[in-house]
Amino acid sequence: MGRDSWDMHSGPSDQVLLLAVTERDMDAFQTLYERHAGWLAIRLARRCNDRDLVADAIQDTFVAVWQRPQGFRGEGDIAAWLWGIAIRRLVSRLRTRSGVAAVFEKAEAAPAAEDQVLLSVEYGDIGQALARLSPEMRAVIQAVVLDGLTAKEAASLLHVPVSSVKTRLYRAKAHLRAALAEGSS
Amino acid sequence: MTGWHLDDDALRRYVGRTDSLAEGVSAEQHLLSCEPCRARVNAAVSVIELSVVDLAAVWNRTRDAIEVPRPSVFERLLRAAGLPAHDARLVAVASAFRGVWLTGAAAILAFAALAAAIGHARGMWLFLAVAPIVPCLVVASSYDPWMDPALEPELVTPYPALRLILLRTIAVLALALPAVLLFGLVIPGEAPFAWLLPAVGFVAVVLAASTWVSPLRAAIAVSSAWLALVSLLATRPGSPDAVIQGRAQAGFLVLAAASFVIFLLRRRQLRQLRPWG
Repeated sequence: MGRDSWDMHSGPSDQVLLLAVTERDMDAFQTLYERHAGWLAIRLARRCNDRDLVADAIQDTFVAVWQRPQGFRGEGDIAAWLWGIAIRRLVSRLRTRSGVAAVFEKAEAAPAAEDQVLLSVEYGDIGQALARLSPEMRAVIQAVVLDGLTAKEAASLLHVPVSSVKTRLYRAKAHLRAALAEGSS
Repeated sequence: MTGWHLDDDALRRYVGRTDSLAEGVSAEQHLLSCEPCRARVNAAVSVIELSVVDLAAVWNRTRDAIEVPRPSVFERLLRAAGLPAHDARLVAVASAFRGVWLTGAAAILAFAALAAAIGHARGMWLFLAVAPIVPCLVVASSYDPWMDPALEPELVTPYPALRLILLRTIAVLALALPAVLLFGLVIPGEAPFAWLLPAVGFVAVVLAASTWVSPLRAAIAVSSAWLALVSLLATRPGSPDAVIQGRAQAGFLVLAAASFVIFLLRRRQLRQLRPWG
């Protein structure tokens, strides 16, 4: 595996590699894997403590990429596209715990304006506001707002009913809105 | 990109999961659009030996998964019908289900049906002779070891031969009988389902006989007997389809039932599949 960190961005771009994968180029596919499997695994492991499931989700993700590289529509970063697949593969693995569905879910729509604000803030009030949320609410915010999952997917990921996801999300947003209003006044 | 990058401390906190939620969110947003920082995360994973998963092993599994040929249409059909993946694979690998055999069987039937449809008495006899024996020939070839070398390793594994043969037989019948019925519809004046019982009866005879001899030999013997009977009847005056009507149908029913009982009683002999050939 190529670990020379600062040299990794030289060489063909992800787009070029993905195009080669469309033409069944195994070397390009391996390069794509080496570039992305590591950070995907780290990010997935922050959502799920079961390492075997994370490994399965990574495998599912790249099998799906091999089978349908044209699923990338050429918009945005390939990394973001990969993450979208990976988090859904993880949810799917959590839901069934066996068997693999080779179905591609539709990419999430652009985040709402309110979510955009949340995403663009890096430190400061919002950080403190998030820190004050209960762990349950933080997990919901993370799954729905930051990972762009649907309420149903988030429910599978967090092992709670869909209704709880919706309630917690509503309350968490209200908390954050209040905290931000307080901070700005 | 923007010239802003995760500093080394932030990167270490992210990988080591000692960061706050807001910091983690910030790092993850940045990583999605920053290839150099992603590469640094990949590198940090290996350096601090905090590898969450064995990525080399996952790569091998991924490569294996994509190099396995995709299941055939027939196998996917079986799985959609509720058969477990392992069973579906075993049923579908039978050589009888490879396109050539099915095409051949369909072609024979099509020729016979065509000949019969033209209305010639001889064409009618031809269809009568061919249609009922096609399913039993396909069944026999679906589990005869000579036709199907893949069966050998399958039977070395502890898999019940009876189950395999029955599953394959059902699969063959599900494919062959509609074909026989379809072509039977072309035949003027005859109820298409009249071919059904002889066909099922011969399949049962082949199953029963295969507890003594190889299935293919059994099928050839049954087919020869049927052809001899039909050609004998063809030399006599009278309607050709008398042989599949009325009392004859009852006879085929008895033949099917009796053969199937024999097959079930002698199913233990199936374990000796391998000495055939």
